[in-house]
Amino acid sequence: MSGGGGQTDPAKVGVYICHCGGNISDHVDVRKVEDLAGSLPAVAVARRNSFMCSDPGQEMIVKDIAEGRVNRVVVASCAPALHETTFRGALARAGLNPYLYEHANIREQVSWVHHGPGATGKAARLVAAAVAKAALLEPLEPIRVEATAHATVVGAGPAGLKAALDLARRGIQVVLVEQSPFLGGNLARLDRLFPTGEKASEMVEDLARRALSHELIQVFTCAGIAAAGGYVGNFSLTVVRRPPQTQRDLELLAKARSSGLPPGFIPFAGYLPLEPPSAQEQIDLRTGAVILATGFEHYQPHAGQYGYGQLPQVVTLPELIQIMAGQEPGGPLTVNGRPVKSLALIHCVGSREIPGLHEPPGGRPLNEYCSRVCCTATLQAALEIKERFPETLIYDLHRDIRAYGRGHEDYYLEASRRGVLFLRFAAENPPQIRAQAGGHGEGLVIEMADTLLGGEELELETDLVVLAVGMRPGPAAGLAEMLKLSRGADGFLLEVHPKLRPVEPAVVGVYLAGACQAPMDVGEACAAASAATVKAGGLLSRGYVELAPFVARVDAQACTGCGACVEACLREGALELARPPAVAKALVNPALCLGCGACAAVCEPGAIAVAGWTLPQYEAMVRAMIAGEAGGEQA
Amino acid sequence: MSMNKPTQFDVLVLGGGIGGLQAALELAEQGFSVAVVERDASIGGKMIRLSKVFPTLDCASCITTPKMAAASHHPGITLFTLCELGKVERKEGLLSARLVQLPRHVDEDKCIGCRQCEYGCPVYVPDQEQAGLTARKAIYIPFSNAIPQLAVLDPDNCSLCGRCAKVCPTGAVDYAQPAREFTITGRALILATGFKLMTDYPERAYGPASRQPNLITSLEMERLLAPHGPYMRVLRPGDGKEPDSVAFIQCAGSRDINKGVSYCSRVCCMYAIKQAMLLSGSLPLADITIYYIDIRAFGKNYEQFFQNAKAMGIEFVKAKAMVVGQNAEGGVDLVYDDMESGEGAKRRSHDLVVMSLAMLPGCDSPPMAEVLAGPDGFIKSVSPKLAPGLTSQEGVFTCGAAAGPKDIVDTIVEAGHAAQEASIYLAFQGKGRAAA
Amino acid sequence: MSSRDLPPILILATEACAYPGANSVGQAHLGYPDNTCIMRVPSPAMFPERFYLECFDRGVGGIIIMSCGVECPYEGAYEVLAKRIDRVYQLMKQRGLSADRLRLTAICTVCNRAFIKEVNQMARVVAELGPPGGERAAA
Repeated sequence: MSGGGGQTDPAKVGVYICHCGGNISDHVDVRKVEDLAGSLPAVAVARRNSFMCSDPGQEMIVKDIAEGRVNRVVVASCAPALHETTFRGALARAGLNPYLYEHANIREQVSWVHHGPGATGKAARLVAAAVAKAALLEPLEPIRVEATAHATVVGAGPAGLKAALDLARRGIQVVLVEQSPFLGGNLARLDRLFPTGEKASEMVEDLARRALSHELIQVFTCAGIAAAGGYVGNFSLTVVRRPPQTQRDLELLAKARSSGLPPGFIPFAGYLPLEPPSAQEQIDLRTGAVILATGFEHYQPHAGQYGYGQLPQVVTLPELIQIMAGQEPGGPLTVNGRPVKSLALIHCVGSREIPGLHEPPGGRPLNEYCSRVCCTATLQAALEIKERFPETLIYDLHRDIRAYGRGHEDYYLEASRRGVLFLRFAAENPPQIRAQAGGHGEGLVIEMADTLLGGEELELETDLVVLAVGMRPGPAAGLAEMLKLSRGADGFLLEVHPKLRPVEPAVVGVYLAGACQAPMDVGEACAAASAATVKAGGLLSRGYVELAPFVARVDAQACTGCGACVEACLREGALELARPPAVAKALVNPALCLGCGACAAVCEPGAIAVAGWTLPQYEAMVRAMIAGEAGGEQA
Repeated sequence: MSMNKPTQFDVLVLGGGIGGLQAALELAEQGFSVAVVERDASIGGKMIRLSKVFPTLDCASCITTPKMAAASHHPGITLFTLCELGKVERKEGLLSARLVQLPRHVDEDKCIGCRQCEYGCPVYVPDQEQAGLTARKAIYIPFSNAIPQLAVLDPDNCSLCGRCAKVCPTGAVDYAQPAREFTITGRALILATGFKLMTDYPERAYGPASRQPNLITSLEMERLLAPHGPYMRVLRPGDGKEPDSVAFIQCAGSRDINKGVSYCSRVCCMYAIKQAMLLSGSLPLADITIYYIDIRAFGKNYEQFFQNAKAMGIEFVKAKAMVVGQNAEGGVDLVYDDMESGEGAKRRSHDLVVMSLAMLPGCDSPPMAEVLAGPDGFIKSVSPKLAPGLTSQEGVFTCGAAAGPKDIVDTIVEAGHAAQEASIYLAFQGKGRAAA
Repeated sequence: MSSRDLPPILILATEACAYPGANSVGQAHLGYPDNTCIMRVPSPAMFPERFYLECFDRGVGGIIIMSCGVECPYEGAYEVLAKRIDRVYQLMKQRGLSADRLRLTAICTVCNRAFIKEVNQMARVVAELGPPGGERAAA
């Protein structure tokens, strides 16, 4: 890594002014700009060319550097976005550090917007400002951070398994951490998947077997991350494994052992790879990247919501799927021992909640989002009932049918064709469920207003109500805090930008895979998992991470150790004070520094600055600009 | 094309829209050499032509141009613009693509993008990049943020007056430049050929006489709303008036078995809501109505976006609206069945009507004969659950709207996925070869 | 249009948004006063209060900070900047400098009209107020 300062050779700036074939020279008196530039004390040579970006133009620069006339370069031409990299390349070819270069934008910001003598004056000011900055430039080197070719994936649902396999197949060592004794996550609790109809259990078994048999993947079940530290390429994680404790896990394990497992698949639980630990154990990992695949949890209706928990014939969609999977062929659909001849499916339970309209008990934050998958999952369940229990009368009570995905609309069309009755309710007027009068809780009455019939009030009698429950974020809160990740208002993990960096949280080296970020279906979660691993793979496959050099640097001589910069720093861990016994001095961790300069603004002695963009450089530019203003007066 | 471009690559990416660029960037970052083949004179695809994008409402250019610039500057990426695809075949284990590069009539190596030719050209032509609402010249830079910034001559409209050649400072204009056929090869292929709109829907659904100037497509509305659009404000194309009422017809061709396609085009609900919000910003007094069947706001923060639009006073009418004519003031007449009020069929006029048209595959058939399409015409995924980017051909991957309608967020994620599948395939192939 | 008699206007334009926005204005050949100087900055959060005051001391007539707004790529930097500019306004007031001489705004990569509007507005302010300190004399 380059140190702070150390540049002692006096600045000999070369200024090269481009005509851009008339684009600039038709409006700017380039000869005059050349003369003015040549008169500046720091300038060794000033030259012009019709096309600085052409080979002859670049050769002028290379020759001046090679022959020792010039050790800093300013090119005055078009916008830097077009040719800054071209000219930095010319410097590098000539053996000069490419960061000893400054650009003056005299086409887009001068000749294309100003005409007459004012244009020439402004071009001269911009060149003078660029020269002033160039004289203060220091050589910079890209920052290299060693990166361990090892990644940790948290969560072994489909996204986590897919992520682990992706990375291992790219030659990266993987530790897969799963909190339960089973692999497969919520996927293991499904039956068939839309729109392919494939068995969820087969997909879980396939993924789990492949992950377990891959030599580069190490799987820890019953495990969680207890502590996390470090930064990109060099995270340290403490994994703790504990014997299973929840009632559900213990029952499922007992069942598994009675069928001769592990290893093997238990329906609606997942793949049990090995016996869980009998005592607590701790594993310390050094890992280069962390992939979060902590998934989702089904929304649990509160007591009394649509009669749930109070009326036995009100169940959730995941509960119904499990009930149906255990049902013998023949006879009517039977739920809780009672035959079901008619049922109603209610959409958006725990999703699309609207402030002011919905007030969940206990002050739970509203789930204002759409859970994305429940509409098609509900249609799929309706079709399966029609297939296996064709006599069943089915009502579908929705707000909108969101069969958005490829092949999903076919489910909607087929359900309509098969006689599923679609009724629509308004968010402000949801259906009301009660037991039939005089019954024993087996018959239900649904009151609703159907907005498709001008708001007509209906009473439906059914044997069952199924609640299409939405998604809640999985158990990632503690981990998010440890890794300093943000969560959105919806509770899901937050990406930097949905389009620019869709699978990256603000912490470099950490990636989001699947439903920990937002509701999504299995295919979408797997795609997101590989979008995360392509980033992690790009990072880890080289053995080092190269970061732009534009990060904070400290002049240790000038630093008084006051700590104001640490206070002002926006990225925790990027700046700290060296601990005693050393003298207190600010220390930058370039792997974490954002390069925003919030530190520079508060440093009284001016001891910290963003490399390549320092305050003295800007002050010099302003001085040159003002002087140029005065010079323009004489011209 | 520049004569010194390489022709052998690790990966060929067909399509230089946001999906293709993202896939190319991910692969180049992993050290693979990538060719991006684009039919247009600029990369950027549909996205660079949009105004602002949902649900963040940041400007489309601000998101697209950094990726376009990164692709064009990346040493591992070679861009082939103005290239029509001939045929893709597998030859000796390599995928070989025959390309026809249409003549730019401007030498790529000489042109410096200075626009002198454009200023000198005396011929004005309706600018399709601005929905035909303003003019461009017969030789021109395709649009302000095009990459590469190279002029292209439109031979259909050029009068051969010779002025552009005379003013060009680098002698780049070449009237006689021929189309050029050449072949590039890759070890893997990514199909990111995107979508197009069903622009003939008015004829299909409303009859041959239904076309009228103030009945526009959603992409035309994007140009009207763009800060660098044809009028820099929203005016209706028919007569330049500021519209007082604007309506959106959702599912114009989508979810329409009789007149269109049976599938949902997935993005139209959200962009119509977005356009409605932008309109209510630029035309605060205008009435804005969206006629919809279902509002499909399913993505992250989309439902909240929809609820905001409702709170802003945008009217949502649950109905399939039909265009039935034009009124004396140039407005568009619609009929619809008002289900929510139970009042039956109604007729209503709007000053400007936008059709949220169905999305169709960008290529009429998959660019490689052996790659299968689904019944909807989009490229078929053979593993939609585990790896949606896999096609029926080994080593051939797909992402974005080429494999079914998709929004930008989902396209970008899927592009990363397709790139990862391709990188795994290449690494495995490399090992196989080393072992052999 | 030459504005050489007017005090200069300094524009701090963010590398990610406003600087490309200024180039977009150039590509569209939209004119604006030439007593402007655009400086490219990663994040204006790096400038201390005194930087702005010293600019005015040296004769800069107006400063426009063209940021990315809440779309700032440096998480949290925009908020820091906005707070600092509030303090600069207070210090300007103490020195008898008109608050109109400093503007914090957000400009996107294709915000041509907004860019022109901001620059013209500041040019009017500077033309009216004259060199910094002029308003003190008038008061």
